[in-house]
Amino acid sequence: MPREIITIQVGQCGNQIGMEFWKQLCLEHGIGKDGLLEDFATQGGDRKDVFFYQADDQHFIPRSLLIDLEPRVINGIQNSEYRNLYNHENIFVAEHGGGAGNNWASGYHQGEQVVDDIMDMVDREADGSDSLEGFVLCHSIAGGTGSGMGSYLLETLNDRYSKKLVQTYSVFPNQMETSDVVVQPYNSLLTLKRLTLNADCVVVLDNTALNRIAVERLHLSNPTFAQTNSLVSTVMSASTTTLRYPGYMNNDLVGLLASLIPTPRCHFLMTGYTPLTVERQVNMIRKTTVLDVMRRLLQTKNIMVSSYARTKEASQAKYISILNIIQGEVDPTQVHESLQRIRERKLVNFIDWAPASIQVALSRKSPYVQTTHRVSGLMLANHTSIRHLFSKCLGQYEKLRKKQAFLDNYRKFPMFADNDLSEFDESREIIESLVDEYKACESPDYIKWGMEDPGEANVAAALDSKLVV
Amino acid sequence: MDPAPATPRWNLERPYLTGRFHQVCSLPHTSSIPPRPPSPVPHALWQEAKAAAAAQAPGSKPFSLDSFSRSSGASTGSVIGSYAVSVQELLVIDDLLSALVGIEGRYISIKRVRGKEGYVVFQIDSSMDLALQELTRRIFPLCEDYVLVSQFVESRSHFKNGLVNHALAAALRAFLLDYQAMVAQLEHQFRLGRLSVQGLWFFCQRMMSSLNALAVLVEKATSNNTSGSATLNLLQSQAKAMGGDSAVRSLLEKMTEYASAAYLRMLERWVYEGVIDDPYGEFFIAENKSLQKESLTQDYDAKYWQQRYSLKEGIPSFLTNVAAMILTTGKYLNVMRECGHNFQVSLSENSKLMSFGSNHQYLECIKSAYDFASGELLTLMKDEGDFLVHFMDIAREELTKKPEEISAEKLQSLLDIALRSTAAASDPTHEELICCVERSSLLKKLATLKDLDCAYPADKLAAADVDQSMQLSITGLETFCLSNKVQWPLSLVISRKALTKYQLIFRLLFHCKHVSRQLCAAWQTQQVFRSVKILGTPILRSSILCRSMLKFVNSLLHYLTFEVLEPNWHLMHDRLQTARSIDEVIQIHDFFLQKCLKECLLLSPKLLVKVEKLKALCLQYATSIQLLMPSIDVANTENTSKSAKSRSRINKSQERHQQLKLASENVVMSESILKFEAAFNSELQSLAPTLSNSSHAEPYLTHLAQCILGVRIDQ
Repeated sequence: MPREIITIQVGQCGNQIGMEFWKQLCLEHGIGKDGLLEDFATQGGDRKDVFFYQADDQHFIPRSLLIDLEPRVINGIQNSEYRNLYNHENIFVAEHGGGAGNNWASGYHQGEQVVDDIMDMVDREADGSDSLEGFVLCHSIAGGTGSGMGSYLLETLNDRYSKKLVQTYSVFPNQMETSDVVVQPYNSLLTLKRLTLNADCVVVLDNTALNRIAVERLHLSNPTFAQTNSLVSTVMSASTTTLRYPGYMNNDLVGLLASLIPTPRCHFLMTGYTPLTVERQVNMIRKTTVLDVMRRLLQTKNIMVSSYARTKEASQAKYISILNIIQGEVDPTQVHESLQRIRERKLVNFIDWAPASIQVALSRKSPYVQTTHRVSGLMLANHTSIRHLFSKCLGQYEKLRKKQAFLDNYRKFPMFADNDLSEFDESREIIESLVDEYKACESPDYIKWGMEDPGEANVAAALDSKLVV
Repeated sequence: MDPAPATPRWNLERPYLTGRFHQVCSLPHTSSIPPRPPSPVPHALWQEAKAAAAAQAPGSKPFSLDSFSRSSGASTGSVIGSYAVSVQELLVIDDLLSALVGIEGRYISIKRVRGKEGYVVFQIDSSMDLALQELTRRIFPLCEDYVLVSQFVESRSHFKNGLVNHALAAALRAFLLDYQAMVAQLEHQFRLGRLSVQGLWFFCQRMMSSLNALAVLVEKATSNNTSGSATLNLLQSQAKAMGGDSAVRSLLEKMTEYASAAYLRMLERWVYEGVIDDPYGEFFIAENKSLQKESLTQDYDAKYWQQRYSLKEGIPSFLTNVAAMILTTGKYLNVMRECGHNFQVSLSENSKLMSFGSNHQYLECIKSAYDFASGELLTLMKDEGDFLVHFMDIAREELTKKPEEISAEKLQSLLDIALRSTAAASDPTHEELICCVERSSLLKKLATLKDLDCAYPADKLAAADVDQSMQLSITGLETFCLSNKVQWPLSLVISRKALTKYQLIFRLLFHCKHVSRQLCAAWQTQQVFRSVKILGTPILRSSILCRSMLKFVNSLLHYLTFEVLEPNWHLMHDRLQTARSIDEVIQIHDFFLQKCLKECLLLSPKLLVKVEKLKALCLQYATSIQLLMPSIDVANTENTSKSAKSRSRINKSQERHQQLKLASENVVMSESILKFEAAFNSELQSLAPTLSNSSHAEPYLTHLAQCILGVRIDQ
């Protein structure tokens, strides 16, 4: 089957959201907990083989690798009712089971040591697919395993499969409350470097925003991990619907991403989903229309990335691109009308240096999952305000770094041995340049930004000015 | 219909076969007075009459078509005026009784009317008593009518005249039999001596008007030489014209009924079985046997459905209103028979005609079949995005060859693989898909299909320009198109022409998809530059150009699929649900196709040429990027593998970084990128006014304009 995608879930967080993701996919495709197709799931028309393949006994196996340095979460999965879903050969737990101790360097170092085992699994999965499209990595950037080992895997994948896409679903730590992981800023910074350099696309899942959404939108006073994770799995499954259900457009990952990511570095995407429901919450059903869904998706409170921008900066923030994946029974003419409405009301602030508009992908809904809403929508957006998230990470790093706090933990590992902290500096530099690039995107002169040759730039400017809105 | 075979010679040469023998040989017999039963007529009178008759012999002859003109009985023999009036009366009654069955008498002669074929005039000896003469003359029209009618009966019984005329002749013959019986009775009365001329006149009264009406009818039929439905029409109009005389009218209606019996039998077979059984070409539906149903799938201009069966002129007036219905009814049945369906229209139920609603079952049948098939084509297009990606992957190599070199067989097998391994596999009819490779580019093909009611020839020059440049580089990707094996009877709806239209749309979509994929590939090659700061380098411009192009192609695709195909398809689907006949289905389907073609820009060459140019630019850009970038890549890896085998990973990546940095400032690339950028932008810019201008006339173009050009058009 064409366009297979291999999912790699690393670390505690990565495995948890990965688990939720697979649960959701199984539900949507009518695959039972043991991987066998449910009796009612006879209606064809979906593409299960992007994410699954079939064993000899016809049961579906996720193209998924479960990797962790400590056994707790994976044991949990293996004792759950989904234990027979996964390919047991694809589960990797470090022998010592000690974890990475929330230390990026430890995770990275351990990753280096076990990379051969893991790449064996990856190669096996890759060989089992006809035309591999790419990899999806689920991890968090704050801990030790997901960030450190994830980083190492990103580099390795990039090296070995340079022609394949790498997309990550990266959970950013909750920055509103003090974390139990004090070195979180270090970990985040070091991971962010790899996300910038080695991933084609990063879907940012901000725990702060997820919590906020759970509290404000879903009225849960104390959202549990399971509840925020279900938000994540909703986003993950929704963003892959166009790959899993055939449609006219956006049916491969590269097409999906290429339209969203204009320049190689600006590949951090925000998501929004509406209408959100959590199980046992049926009292919040409202009437949904395409326009309604699209409008809600543009509201910041529905976006799963917090905005740390100050008001002045926020007003300058611009959308680089938007893709709305609308699911449900939708009349294409409604889409056109809604787009026109949004355009008339100037609800979206797009970049000035290139034509941009909301792209809409219509997708089928799974026939096996009963949803209370007629229409639901996911927004994947490339928005310049994401730079404030990175600035915030940088700021926290600077604070910690100034104090030279907790650096000893890192010096134990080869990369930082001999007090060689250049990796930190380099990472900082790269994140800064990333922030700069996003900032440059807000300017109408982005294209000519830093052009050496003024003459050439003028020619280009003359051309552009004719085209610019 | 075969012409009537000529009468063979032997038939003419043997008088006893032609009946002439009888006429000739019987002359002496008829001339002698047959023995008569003893009559109560005063004997003296009889004797006298006998004597007169004997004196006149052998003047009397039976009247026949061939011989009457020669006869002139009045020229010889004694003058009737020399007898007494009462004798004259007896003589004239005797003559009249002969004249009533068309036989010349001694004193009544038959003259052919000059110039009028078949018309005769009876004349009476002028020496007769005037009162008798007058009375006799009054009876003559009856005789003339009889001659006319019987002559008609004889002539129309020839088998070349068609079933309707045969039936009419038979009916008339039956009527004449009655008439002859009447004459025989009159003769009997005469023999009994109870018949006077007045009595004869009285007895003839009723016959007179009936026979006259028939004679008028016959006269008209003969002069117009009617046959088939024309005869029926004539009968009907005559019956109507005789509305005042109820007896005559009912007679004419009866004639109509008899005459149309055969015709209605034909109609019945057509309506209930879909068979035309019409040896004389009288039926109002004509079958064109030269049109074969196979032509539907082969011939672009196939007209099977429209022209295989058609209404002729001269529909019987009582069927005019329902003629079209009868035509379609039979057509459907015919199709059904061709499909090998067993259908049973129970004749007992609707034993007679005019119940044409018996085809619903069939209609349902063909409609569901049609729904299925046309749905097939469309879902195919829907799924295409899916399996085509895969197909393109595996068939890429083959398709990039020149069209002349592409082997259709190989493509077919690749297509099958792609189909089987994608979601389309659940489609039950995907086996009917075949692929074919056109020999010409899309524009050229469009130009050749002139009947798409658009002004292609006028724009041929412009198209030719593009063609010239494209002809050289045309590959399978541009010319690949899918086709669907359409089974009879679906081929009625999805004829070759409809299929060609589908293919046109398909090729446009396919090519857009191809361009989009190429751009994605270009985008992917550029992704390696994320490790370099690209602000201010050509790479940035290239990325942004790539994005613009992608946006253009994707918007175009989005427009084509979600704004044109999808809504129109749904519209058609809904309308099909309510369609009640196959003609309606065809009409809806054609309308759908035409609308799609139009909205897909395929009918507006000006725009299409521009769009094609833009797509060509996108393709060129994508190819050159993909050529340029990997060359840098390769150089890199070679360098690193040679020089940095032992180095650490970090060093390696640093070196790579340096290489990329250098590459990003590559002059060759920056120049070509700028060139592409300028070309693309100016082309896009020139598209804008064209689009907005035409969008006034064609509202759907506003959608496209908004899709492609974003907000600009509003402002």
